[in-house]
Formats: sequence, C-alpha cells, structure tokens
Amino acid sequence: MLIPGKSDAVAETAATRERASATPEGHARAPRAGGPAHENARSGATPSSEAAAASNGGRALAAGAALSLQDQQRWFAAAVMTPEAHPLPDGATAAERVLTAGPRLSAGDRLEVYRRAYHARLIECLADDYPALESALGAEAFDALCRAYIERHPSTGPNLNAFGQHVPAFCRSGEGACPESAFSADLATLEWAIVEVIHARSAPAVTIEALHAIPIDRWANARLIPTPAFRLLRFAYPVNAYFQSFRQGTTPLVPAPSESSLLVYRSGPTVWRMPLTDPMLALLEATALGEPLGVSLERAAAALTDVPEEVAGARVMGWFRDWVSSGLFCDVEAPPV
Amino acid sequence: MSNRFGLPDLGVGLGLRTVHYSRILETNPAVDWFEILSDNYLETKGRPLDYLDAIADRYPVVMHGVSLSIGSTDPLDRAYVESLRALRDRTGARWISDHLCWTGVSGRNTHDLLPLPYTEEALAHVAGRVKEVQDILGAPLALENPSTYVEFGGNAMPEWEFLGRLCEAADAAILLDVNNIYVSAYNHGFDPKEYLRAIPFDRVVQIHVAGHTNHGTHIIDSHIGPVIDGVWRLFGEAHARGGGASVLLEWDAEIPSLEETHAEALRAKEFLQAPAC
Repeated sequence: MLIPGKSDAVAETAATRERASATPEGHARAPRAGGPAHENARSGATPSSEAAAASNGGRALAAGAALSLQDQQRWFAAAVMTPEAHPLPDGATAAERVLTAGPRLSAGDRLEVYRRAYHARLIECLADDYPALESALGAEAFDALCRAYIERHPSTGPNLNAFGQHVPAFCRSGEGACPESAFSADLATLEWAIVEVIHARSAPAVTIEALHAIPIDRWANARLIPTPAFRLLRFAYPVNAYFQSFRQGTTPLVPAPSESSLLVYRSGPTVWRMPLTDPMLALLEATALGEPLGVSLERAAAALTDVPEEVAGARVMGWFRDWVSSGLFCDVEAPPV
Repeated sequence: MSNRFGLPDLGVGLGLRTVHYSRILETNPAVDWFEILSDNYLETKGRPLDYLDAIADRYPVVMHGVSLSIGSTDPLDRAYVESLRALRDRTGARWISDHLCWTGVSGRNTHDLLPLPYTEEALAHVAGRVKEVQDILGAPLALENPSTYVEFGGNAMPEWEFLGRLCEAADAAILLDVNNIYVSAYNHGFDPKEYLRAIPFDRVVQIHVAGHTNHGTHIIDSHIGPVIDGVWRLFGEAHARGGGASVLLEWDAEIPSLEETHAEALRAKEFLQAPAC
C-alpha cells in the first residue's frame, strides 16, 4: 500500500511467527529419501556435531549397559536431528532397544514422528522469515536449502527469533547449493532486515518541532540519531521491486543484476521499505555514522550536480523533512559548536 | 476445591496469537484472560512487546513457554529463567508454565517438546531443576503434561505417576492439558481416566484444551480445528475434580477469527459439571 506523504516507502505487513507448543505436521514439506535434499545435505560433507553426539550415544548403546538419562537424551537428539533423507545413526535396532512400540506403530516409526517434526518446525520458521525467497526458489529448492541450513546452523539457543540470521550469507556462500545464489542472497538480506526491524527496540520518533527548536547556531553541528529499527541496504539486484511484486501476489522471473539501495525501517507497528537514490543513501549512511548535519547537507547538495546549488540545498532539506516526519530518527543531538 | 497455591480461577481464556492482535485492541472482546507464548516476547525489544504491553494493560495474562527444557541434562539456562521473571514482572502475569519435557542436549536445541524416560533418576534430576527455577522465579512453576509419540523401554512408572510425584517433590503446580492426555492415551494405549485419577488436583491451576489430528496410526497434537467432544468430556471430568482451574483454548494452525476462536473456547461452559455437593 502506498501512503501519501511517505514518498516511495511501502508498508510491509510482515507478522512474526508463533512459538506455540503444537507439533507441526510437515507433510507438505517433508522430502522423501533420495530427493534433492539428500544430495544437498551430503554435499556439505562436514560431519555435524550431532553426528559426534550420535556416536557418543551409539557407544553406550553398543556397550549394552543401562543407559543414563544423558545417554538417552544424546542418542535421541542425534536421531531426531539426523537429516530425514539419511538413515538413523544407529539404525532401527537402537530405536527398538531404547523405545517401545506403540499399539499401531513400531519404535522406529514413533521416533520418526519426532525427526519429521524437528525438521518441519525449523523449515516453517525459515519460511516465515523468507516467504519471498521461498516463492522465488520454488518449494523443492527452498526445502533443500532449509535442510542444508538446518544441518549447518543448528539452533543453539532457547529462542528461534535469530535462527534464520545466517541465511543471506549461507545463500551467498553457495554452501547449500542455493540456486541464483547472488540474487537469493540479496533477497534474503532484504527479508532478514524486515525481521530485524520488527525486533529492534521501539523508540518514539523525533518531531519536526524538535528540529525547529534547535538554536540556529547549533544547527550545523546537530546529529540525527536513526531509530534502532533502521537498516540501510545495498543490493546487486533490484530486489525491492521483486519483493513488491511478490507481495502483490506475482512471482516474477529472477531479474538481471542492477544495483539498488533500500532503507528498511519501522515506525510504530509498521515496517516500511523506502527505495533510495545514491545521494540519499550516501546522506543516510553519513548520518547513521554520526556526521553533523551541516557537513552532510553541504556534501549532498554538492553531489546534486544536475541542479543549481540553491535548488540542490532545498531538495536535500526536503528529504530530511520527509525522513523526520516518516519517523526515521529517534533523537537529535545539538551540542554547542 | 481451589488450588493449594491460591492462584485465581481466571475463567475461560484464549491463547494470544499475533493474527488477533489488532482485532483485540480494536474491539476489546470480552475474553476473560489471555495466555501469552513467553518465547514470542523474549529476545525481542520491538513490536511484539508493544502489542503485549497494550494487551496486558487490558487483560489478565499468564505466561506459557516452550524453551525451559526442564528435563535436559545440560546445565539449567538460568539466564532464560531470569528473562522469564523479567517478562512476568513487566506483564504482571499471574503464573508461568512450561512443559514436562526436554528440548535439547549438548548445547543444541531441537525446539521440540521431547519426552523423558520416566525413571527414578529422571525424577530426581527434574525435581532439583524445578526447585532451582522456582527459587529464581520466587513463585511456583506450572508444568504441563506433553503430547508424546514414543515411550522409553526403561520407564519405571507411567507419566501420571511421574508428574504427580515430581510436583509433590518440588512443590510445583500443574497445567493439565486434557488434549495431550487424549493424544498420548491414543498413541500409547492407556486409559485417560486412569491418568486423571492419579493427578493431585489441588496442584492443577490451569487446564488446556485444543484440537488435534488423528492419522489413524497415531494422533498429532497439531492444535488445529475445534476441540473434539471426547476431549471436552475429559475436560469436564478434570475440571470437576479440580474446581477452580482456569481454562484455556490453544489454536495454532489455520487459526480462525478471534470471534470464532472465542466461541470455541466458551464451549467449555457446556461441559462444566455441577459440583458434587
């Protein structure tokens, strides 16, 4: 939705995912053994620490001794975290030794419920964070990418909010055999910025009136402080246009490379995506680094070589007014010169 | 009979879900209380907390978490417990609950509610950790019986005995999930009424109901769809034994409108049994 007065910024309707206790079904996403996930998971080649944990549990199992609680947990966790396309680390016999069969399912089948849920839950989490990437790659390639990611970056903390943070770098590295890796990495970077600004500290915006209250002799030395929910992004691809099309319900083809830049920020509950020209990007980058307004304005106006100096100055001042009224800044510091 | 902790009967509540935030704030529905998913509001400083603050200003809330991992053999994550305490202090949550389970080991988190072997070793281990958590919280922890899909061959007692003895040993409260009892009873072939008979109901401060998915060979605790009558009847029996336990509907997949979700929760009143006296 375009909002009058917000220039080119577009509101983003992203919602955060739930952390409910429900067990995910995972049927729609679960790959079958031998599918692409199998190939990709193996191409990583590095044995994960879960495999090490598995061998730990495996030794205890082989020894035939009564299993301690810790032994059982290590074995169980290693089994659950084993990629679904791979055989269980200790085979079905271990499941039968540690677990009982149910009225209708074998011990091994019962264990598989947990293995499926583990992968399904984390894939759902990544799909919540990266819906456009999922759409761009298609269900199968996205599923394979997620499974490779889950194996490479297993969760180590109690919270899933940051679980997907390595996806942009993972795409770029080519490690998960991500198709169109440079484009995918750019798109993932945009989507992760949305997640970050949702969780960044909420801060009331500085007002135009606060700016007007700055004494004239302090103006050149003033510094605007960006809101914590503020991310400046440079891309090799026009990913914001792509993302906008995705939000409008279409799945465009992967575009040709073309540099672009974007500001993602949050004002109140609303996340905004604001495309930037090069002079705007330079100005906001300098402002974010703490450059005084006087220096920034002069430099930016000088960069606008296509218009007379006074027009350039007025234009840059107009940008700042828009940005302040859009809620990009949470404070202004105006120390004496 | 009210619970031994003196925790209030809040009535019929709903699990707070993000899709309903705006509707709640716009319409102020007559929901008795909301159960918040604690983990949605940890490791964030932003929008989720803004919504939570607004809702906790208007409604009683209770905290329900999935990451305490009370049964893990890894060291207790005390920083996590302290973050729960801080969230409780922020929201005024009436109590804090999590599950009788473990979520990971060796520094890895599966984010699933994994079942424990019900042994004397596990009982002593978990009881010690529950006490440690309660010391940090300065309040009783409510533990929920999980839905499980496996049982350990080394089990020395059924889950109901483990849960009851654990809560007695650690002086903990119980969040009794009657859907989970139904699911586990189907998956393992026990009688849900036997489960109810063993529960120390003076420790039950809250009862969960939810929908599930029956695959024939097993039931998955999917929290989808309305609550089936078999689960509602189990609820009625549990509530009659406990008296003043707060009731809460969990709906987490294909979540309908706030009004429809609330209407489903209010079906609880059809199944409340008259007091025996």
